[in-house]
Amino acid sequence: MFVITPAMVGQVVISGLLAGALYAMVALGLGLIFGVMRVLNVAHGTLLMLGAYTTFWLFHWFGLNPYLSLLVSMPALFLVGVVLQSLLVRRVVDAPELSSLLLMFGVGIALVNVTQLAFTSDLRSVEYLTGSFVLGPFAFSKSRVIAFAFAMAITAGAFWFLQKTRLGKALRAVSQSREVAQVCGINVQQIHMLAFGLASALAAAGGTLVAVMVAIQPEMGQVYTFKSFLVIVLGGAGNYPGALVGGLLLGLVEQLSSLFLTTQVNEAVAYILLVLVLLVRPTGLLKGRSS
Amino acid sequence: MKRWFFAGLAVSLVVLAVYPLQGTGYGIRTMLQLFMWIALAQSWNLISGLTGYVSFGHVAFFGMGAYTTAILVTKLGWPWLAACLAGGVMAMVLALVIGWPCLRLKGPYFAIAMLGLNEVLRVIVSYYEGLTGGGSGLSMPTLHASVPIYYAMGLVALLVTALTYVIITSRFGLRLMTIREDEVAAEAMGIDTFRYKLYAFLLSAAAPGIVGGLAARDQGYIEPMSVFPLITTITMIVMVLFGGKGTIWGPVLGAVLLFTFQEIVWARFIYLHQLFFGAIIVAVVLLMPRGILGVLQQKYNLPRTI
Repeated sequence: MFVITPAMVGQVVISGLLAGALYAMVALGLGLIFGVMRVLNVAHGTLLMLGAYTTFWLFHWFGLNPYLSLLVSMPALFLVGVVLQSLLVRRVVDAPELSSLLLMFGVGIALVNVTQLAFTSDLRSVEYLTGSFVLGPFAFSKSRVIAFAFAMAITAGAFWFLQKTRLGKALRAVSQSREVAQVCGINVQQIHMLAFGLASALAAAGGTLVAVMVAIQPEMGQVYTFKSFLVIVLGGAGNYPGALVGGLLLGLVEQLSSLFLTTQVNEAVAYILLVLVLLVRPTGLLKGRSS
Repeated sequence: MKRWFFAGLAVSLVVLAVYPLQGTGYGIRTMLQLFMWIALAQSWNLISGLTGYVSFGHVAFFGMGAYTTAILVTKLGWPWLAACLAGGVMAMVLALVIGWPCLRLKGPYFAIAMLGLNEVLRVIVSYYEGLTGGGSGLSMPTLHASVPIYYAMGLVALLVTALTYVIITSRFGLRLMTIREDEVAAEAMGIDTFRYKLYAFLLSAAAPGIVGGLAARDQGYIEPMSVFPLITTITMIVMVLFGGKGTIWGPVLGAVLLFTFQEIVWARFIYLHQLFFGAIIVAVVLLMPRGILGVLQQKYNLPRTI
């Protein structure tokens, strides 16, 4: 048994927050889709994977700075999201949740399969930013710190959009009550497309940032789908600031459990936390919707 | 009509019962897998088809049964049949542990919790290497028992189907279906919804546990990735949906059709397998969410207990 020093705890807490901001950003996308349409997008991680590949190929072929490629991956996946919504998801919005779960799973495995055929299952990495920032007793990999900064900025941008712009307000109105929003003259179909597009763009941003940190492969997405579900349940589904709280909390819990137990079981620890939250406070830590 | 149906059923049962006397090893293994899928699809139908609660991680019970059996066989030297039954019991224990908190939740939260359960079991099993062999899996001693396993698997499939018949034609089944149609109304009518959901969930966990054990014993080797794949859950669901969820024969029909399709078509397109499967899922969800029997039921006014 080794001794846990305060410096280690500090390192772990900061690493947790760094990872958590990324989770929060990706999960905000999942939360948007769920909040607006009551659809559980199990292909969210797949969209993240597509974002990661966009960045990889832009870097590989054109040597484009991976952070600049956010300007490509986010709009590209926004379009993919809009197309998915208008072709497929639109048809299951009012169906029981089983339909949307299965539909998105089907879309997800098809996309993963196409990616495997096109790019093979090889691990690929963007060799861009290596090394660490050292600050006193702490050391943090550069790519994670920058990912944190981008994730926070993009999440802040998304909140600004939701709070301040007319479209953002319309989107929140639809997620509160679709009927009333429609009566007020909001085009609900357009808002649904916007929500799915935004969600895909947030996933793509996550993919881009992840691609700089770790090696990518077509099946990388599933774990992010799972984590995003954890985050929105922890934070309160349908409660958008809740995603931020949930994301940071998930990052912290994962890192702390890797300190006290081991890295491999942090998913299990996070899951037990999820079940406890569902049991004690099914609406999430911040108040979300119960059903 | 009814008489012909039961005559056909009796004939197919007799044919299936004598098949191992004539069948090739490959044929027996294939039929055994078909029985496995029927049992799995039928079990999923018990909880999700009847109550509407989507168990999006039902393969967790399959994996639980497989690991229980493998551990009992390798570490304690249990005979395989007893070990498989123990697998069913352990799957029910797991269902109790997870259902007790999670079935109180309404709607999509239960689906999320079940999806998570499966992921987490895989992580835990990979981690506790001493007991489970970790990522490198567990090998059981070789056993040439395809024929007894064939009968055991067939019996499980038959029993779950019979159980479904008994449930759907009973007051218990009516209560479950009331929960599916309108849970608040069910509660208002005095149905203890949580208790009935939990019963249905426990019943639906038993067969996957046993079948998981039988499949593990038949293959002789298991590892976390092979017994906890999300795709197995999805396959069960698509089979039920395709055949007609909430019916007695829908899961059987769906399992037979989809399994046959898999064996004949997908074997030739290994690389496109998932693309095809994804397309089938999308097509079933969008074009015929009620399934074959559901459509027939509506069109020809067939009885509810089909």
